[in-house]
This record gives sequence, C-alpha cells and structure tokens, in this order.
Amino acid sequence: MKTLLSVRDLRVWLDTARGPLSIVDGVSFDISAGQVFGLAGESGSGKTITALALLGLLPAGARTGGSAILDGRDLMTMRTAQRRRTRGREVAMVFQDPMSSLHPMLTIERQLTEHLRYQLGMSRKEADERAVELLTEVRIPNPEAALRGHPHQFSGGMRQRIQIAIALACEPRLLVADEPTTALDVTVQAGILRLLHRLCQEKDLAVMLITHDLGVLSALADTVTVMYAGRVVESGPTAQVMGRSRHPYTRGLVDSLPHPEAADRALVPIAGEPAGPESRPAGCAFHPRCRYMEPPCATAVPPLIRIDDGREMACPVDPLVASLAR
Amino acid sequence: MSVGAAVSNPLASAWRLIPGAWRQPLTVVGGVLAVSWLLIALLAPLISPYDPLAQGAALYQAPSAAHLMGTDELGRDVFSRVLWGARISIPLAMLLVALAFTIGGTLGGLAGYLGGWVDELVMRAADFVFAVPTILLAMAVVAALGPGLFHAVLAVVLVSWPGHARVVRGLVRTTMESEYVAVGRLLGSPTHRALTVDVLPNIAGPVIVLAALEIGNAILLLSALSFLGLGARPPAAEWGSMVSTGAEHFEAWWMGDFPGLAIVSVVLAFNLLGDSLRDAFDPKAIIKARGA
Amino acid sequence: MAFVLTHLVPGDPAVANLGDRASADPVAVRIYREHFGLDKPLPVQYFVYLGNLLHGDLGESEQSQRPVNTDLAEYIPATAELAITSIVLACLLGITLGVIAALNRNRLSDQIIRVVSLGGMSTPQFWLALVALYVFFYKLSWVPGSGRLDAIVLPPPHLTGLFTIDSLAAGQFDVFANSIQHLILPACVLAAFNMGLFTRFTRSAVLEVLENDYVRTARAKGLPELTVVFRHILRAASPPILTVVGLAFGNVMTGTVLVENIFSWPGIGQYSYRSATALDLPAIVGVMLFVAIVYILVNMVVDILYGVIDPRVQLA
Repeated sequence: MKTLLSVRDLRVWLDTARGPLSIVDGVSFDISAGQVFGLAGESGSGKTITALALLGLLPAGARTGGSAILDGRDLMTMRTAQRRRTRGREVAMVFQDPMSSLHPMLTIERQLTEHLRYQLGMSRKEADERAVELLTEVRIPNPEAALRGHPHQFSGGMRQRIQIAIALACEPRLLVADEPTTALDVTVQAGILRLLHRLCQEKDLAVMLITHDLGVLSALADTVTVMYAGRVVESGPTAQVMGRSRHPYTRGLVDSLPHPEAADRALVPIAGEPAGPESRPAGCAFHPRCRYMEPPCATAVPPLIRIDDGREMACPVDPLVASLAR
Repeated sequence: MSVGAAVSNPLASAWRLIPGAWRQPLTVVGGVLAVSWLLIALLAPLISPYDPLAQGAALYQAPSAAHLMGTDELGRDVFSRVLWGARISIPLAMLLVALAFTIGGTLGGLAGYLGGWVDELVMRAADFVFAVPTILLAMAVVAALGPGLFHAVLAVVLVSWPGHARVVRGLVRTTMESEYVAVGRLLGSPTHRALTVDVLPNIAGPVIVLAALEIGNAILLLSALSFLGLGARPPAAEWGSMVSTGAEHFEAWWMGDFPGLAIVSVVLAFNLLGDSLRDAFDPKAIIKARGA
Repeated sequence: MAFVLTHLVPGDPAVANLGDRASADPVAVRIYREHFGLDKPLPVQYFVYLGNLLHGDLGESEQSQRPVNTDLAEYIPATAELAITSIVLACLLGITLGVIAALNRNRLSDQIIRVVSLGGMSTPQFWLALVALYVFFYKLSWVPGSGRLDAIVLPPPHLTGLFTIDSLAAGQFDVFANSIQHLILPACVLAAFNMGLFTRFTRSAVLEVLENDYVRTARAKGLPELTVVFRHILRAASPPILTVVGLAFGNVMTGTVLVENIFSWPGIGQYSYRSATALDLPAIVGVMLFVAIVYILVNMVVDILYGVIDPRVQLA
C-alpha cells in the first residue's frame, strides 16, 4: 500500500502570556491511498486541530512544528501561496455541520464551481458540467435544478453530500472528514458512510476520518489512531485496536461506549474528565484517570512502542499482562 | 541596564493595576483624556493665564508665547477662553444626558415593563421625535422658546430622550423575557425585587456605555446650536459660538480652530471610552473570557 | 401629523412673516391671515390642505411666494447630489477600513482605524467645513468656496437636476469639471461622520461573519483571500451594513443645514432652516413631507436589496 501522507512529530502550540500552550504534542502517522484512516478521540484531544494543521487552516497565533510529507513535499514548511494551492486541490476537507459550512447566500452552483474555475481554470460551461457530474456521484436527485438552489432548501443529509461533492471537485488525493455524520440523523448517517466508502474505493482516495463515534470507526475505518490530550496513545488496524485494545485509555473508551464489537458487555465509564490544554497532567496525560497507574506514569511521558506489525501504543503498563497477573 | 529596568517597571506595574476589562490601550487613552478635560473644567479658574472676559491685550494676535492660542477680536486670550469653555460644555452635557436618561429611561423602562397602552403612547411620542431631522427639531424648539443656553439644553434633551427610551425599553423587555426572570416570578418574588435584583444589574453595563457616547453627542449638538447663535450668547466663552465668531474672521484662524479642536478632543475622549467599554461589557466577550 | 406639529409651535406665523409691519398694521395681519386661511378653524385648514395635497398642491411658500412644489423641485436635486456623493465616498472609505480592521482584529491597524473612525464621528461638521474651506480654498485655492458652480458658468440643461449627471449627458465637460470642483469639499466634509459610522458597523458585521464556518470552507477550497473577502464575507455581512447606509443616506438628505449654510449650497437644508426660523408653514410641512418620503423610499430600497442579496428572505 503506497503511503500518501507521512506525518512526523506534528506539534501545534499557542504562544500565550504564560508561555507556550501545547495543543498537539508530537503526533505521527501514515495515510495510504484507497484506505480510510480513522483518527479517534474525545473533544479536546487535538484531533481536529491536527487536521486543520495539515490543511493550513489554523487560527492566527497558532504555531506549528514537525513535518507532513505529501508526495515528497512538506506541507508544514511550504510557502503560503503554495500551501493555498494544495487546499481543495490535493487535500480537501469536509466539516461537521453542513448547514453552517455552506454559504447561505450563494447558489450551489457557485459553491461547487468557484474553485473548479479558479484552481483548474475551467470555463463556466465546463465547470457546470462537472458540477452536475459531482452531484450525480453523491446521489443528489435532479442535479441541474439543485445547482440553482441554496443550502437552506436541502435537508441535512443532502447538504453533507453537497459538501462532499464540493470537496471532491478538483479530485484531491486526500479527503479529511471531520465528524461527517455527527450532526446528522442516525438514519442518514449510514448513507453518508456508504458514500464515503464507495468514493474511497472507486477513486483510490485516501480518507482521514475524524470522529469520537466508535460505531462509525468500526463501520468505515481501516486503521485507527487514538489520540488523548494531544498525543497518540494507540494505533493499528481497526478490528484489533477496538477488539483487543492494549492502551488503558482505548480500553476505557471501548468499554464505556456502545459499539458493535462489544455488543454483549456492560458499559463502564472512564472516571474523571478529559483535561483541556491548559491543565495537562505531567508525564502520561491519562494517568490521573488510569486504573493501572504506577508511580513512573506521573513523571515520564511514555513513548510510542511497537507491539505487532502495524500496531503501536504508548503505555509502559500493558493492561493485558496486568489483568492476567491480577 | 538596571536603570532601564527600574524605569520600565513602574509603568508596567501601574498598567497591571488597571482591572482587566479596562486594560485596553484605547480605553486608557479615552479615560485619561476624559479625566483631563474634567480636571480642566474644574480647575479652569486656577490654570488659565488670563480672565476669559478680559479685553486687555492687542487684538487678533497670532499664537505666541504670551498667548498660546492668540487673541480674539476683542483682545481676549483664546487659550483661557478655550479652557473656560470646558466649564460650560462639559457640565451642561453631563446634565443634559442625565436629564435625557432619567426622562427617557423612566419612560422607556415603564413602557417595557408595563407594556400595553403605556408602551404604545411612549413609542408614538418617540416616533414623533424621530420623524424630524435632529438639528431642525432642536433649532425649531430653540427658535420657539427664544435663544439662550438653557433653552438649547432643553431642546437637546427633547431630541435625545427617545434614544434612551428605546434602549432601556429594549433592555427591559429582553431581560424580562429571559428565562431566569420568569422563573423568579414563578417562584413568587415580588415585582420590585425582580426589578432591582434581576433587571437593573443587567442593563447597567449597556446604559453606562450609552451615557458615555451620548455625552459626546450632546456636546456636538450644543455647540452646533451655539454656532447658529441659538445657544450660548456672547460674551460667554462657549466653543460653538467661538467657532462662529472665528468664521467671521477667517484670517485669524486660531480663533475658530482651537475651540473646534477642543470639541473634537473632548468628544473623541468620551467616544473612545464608551466604545472600548462597550467591548468590555459585551456579553459574548464576557462568556469567552470566563469559559475558555 | 406634520401639519399638527407645525401648528403646535407657538408664535403667530403671520406676525413672524410680516415682521415689523405686523406690529404697526393690524389690518395687514388680518388680510394676511385671510389670504392663507389662517383665520379658519384648524380642522378646516387641515382638510383644505389634504385636499390640495391629493392634487399635488403643497400650497405656497410664504417666503418665496412660489408654490412649495417648485421650491422643493429646485432645492432637492442640489441636496441629492451632495448626499449621493458623500454617501458613496463614505461607503468606499468606510467599508474598506472596516474590513481591514476586522481582519486585523486587535492589532495596531485595527486600533488606528478605530481611533480614526471615532475621530470622524467626533468632529463637528460645522467646524470641519470651516477648517476645510480655510485650508483648501483660502490658503491653497484648490477648490472654489461656495455654490454649486462658478458664477459665470451656466448650469447644464435640466435632466435630473444633478449638475454632474446633466452636464455629462449634455457633453459639457467643462461644466462637469466645474461642478465636481464645487462638490468635492462639502461632500467630503459630510462624509467624515458617516465614514466613521460605516467603518464601525462594517467591522462588527464582518467580525460576526468571520465566526461562521463557511468562511473556513471557502479558505479550505484554496480560494484567494480577496475572493473570500468579497464574495463570501462581505456578502454575508451586507444586510446590517445596508441598513445603516440607508439610514445614513436618509440623515444626510435631511440634515445638511450647517454644511449647506457654510458652503452656500442651495439645497433643502438651507430651505428648511429658512422656513423653520420664519415659521413658513406650508414650506415647513412640505419639508416634513419630503423627509417622510425620503425615509419611506430608503426603507423600500433597502428591503428590496435585502431580497436580492439574501435568498432566504421572502419578498412580500
């Protein structure tokens, strides 16, 4: 499987009056074409910021470090103008709430074609034809009429499909989807997920799926990387990470949330609250809430160690071993 | 190096003494400027080099060391007259805003609180005033009552009260419709208690902001009326009428320019203050500051 | 309503208009009153007036001895020319500064723009007019001092009453140049306050829009920043800006007394000032009618524009 994007030690921090505030603290992963890469974690884990950093859409004042190599070029060190050209064209993003992510006053046609015409130099006619193609691909009925409409005339699910169409317009290599189904009804979610799956397969598209919903992950993601407090705690093939989790946090997540892999077990919530960037504990960020905590956990940041082929996790205390011993 | 550090520290620590919301540079500038003018208004008799009415010096003198802003057509020192002008414009403007706010605020508050025909009546009266261009209405009122500073003040109060009324009415209405007031009433707290405890603290912020901005407007209107000869009468040292006299003696630019600059400076001070405070009192900003 | 208000103003218009003669000659006063129907009871006067109104007759101005209609038709275009120019100037400068301030929030440029805009709103127009005249006319002689055209220049053939447009239409470029010269200074003075106002409103409207996700989407498409600003941000921010521009236009059309006075601009401002101080009732009522119509028209135009800009708005 060819690696499309290689992220190494990505860091995002804010310079505040009280010193640098770390939001993403050294995250590394690889994404391959034709695969769905899942990025999981609760709110505040830094997963959305990671995605925004890759696209260069961080708010002013945010500083970055590390590298993200796409096709031999490092996204993080590119000049602004170059970076801007990769957006929409090589890396595209779909956001959580399709109602607020689409401009309420512009026609669908405009929103679909403006970057087609700017980035690819298409004429109006060519762009419109492509727009109809795109709408058909995402299964919007009556595409020609839809072009003349405005976002408020469509349902939530359709708006999300339109957003996906917009993202795919210039045929990007990587599609980042930030909580694509969270704002939608359950009945509509499945449709969107199927759509993403199909597009991934048919177009050899790399999809980065960001979500906290384990059900979505197990349905769609080929690999999962779990983040907590700005760091990666575990990664590997979805079935293994979710079915046989090794890191205490992942175990806690799997045990506390309903999902197909654990249909027969009782739900056990994780004690405590996730820490925001201002109040990250020293050492392993999860240690105050961890059942398997040992003294070293409070001082040393556990490194990411490789357990099997394609699996990594960051905990010196292996829960499987520990639970066997007890 | 250590001397530099010692000098910069007092400024830095003084800066930190200012409470959070007020720490914006523009607020401080506005505040300092406004306070300076208030002090000038207070201390003018002590600090002006000459008596503003004294006609001793040579006429039409350009600014010089002896007369910082020159002399006017009757040999009076312009600088002293400008300083004394603050004693007319600023207190009158504050009085005016206080009056307009009391009348407008009470009427607006009653309209918002009681609703019904009271509301209708007050709003109709306000619409009446809004229908006429401000300057014209003020001019008409003064023309009808006869020129003079007191009548000018009345005219501006008449023109300004609806603005206050509308704001207070809106604030009262939104606060009353907010859920926690409804809950308070359900729980049976008496109406006037609800008023003082729930409604008033919420409207205090925006009202203060409005008052600061209105002082600036009041000064502008008062000086405009005086400029037209409908407000202060000579030989009173009022900025607007001084500009008017200055217009008649175009060559002696210092006669009209300095009073005008004084107006700009005072109004700008209060506008800066009001504008920055508005940002500080903005509910969204407060939520952001607390919740982040 | 306009009618009632003017009659509420104390002071006998007959006496005011006849001035000294009134005190000397009670007969003259009586004839005057009869001529203008002032001796009839108030309700009768009102109905007579309404009747005339429906015929488009606003009565005669006591000052000019002409139908008020004619007066208005002569003075309104002058003010309109001034108002339109000054609003356009204020918009161009104000909206641009407001966008820049919003995009650079809390940085130095934002602070400077805030001070400048508040400065514009803190400057008394009468003083600014005088200073501008002094500097640009008296000292530098860059512009002429008063009126709409030089005394020796004839106005262009009447099309709209706006000398700039009329002279262009007639191909009289020298007249055009001359009218622009006269127009520029008062228009700038009038624009100062509104420039400040528009800057502040644009800034806050744009700041609100910037919080929306669709701005991020537009950037995520790799569009150039200018496109994002104009097509996405400004368009979404225009409703409140439009409202305030409309209101400002109404205010400028109706409140130019001082500036017109100083620049000797023969517009509605001067006309209303003369009418108000002379208690010229038909003229006053005519002016108030004009004011009402201006605001009604402005509101209509703004509503229509809303519907054009925002497809979510239903036009009745």
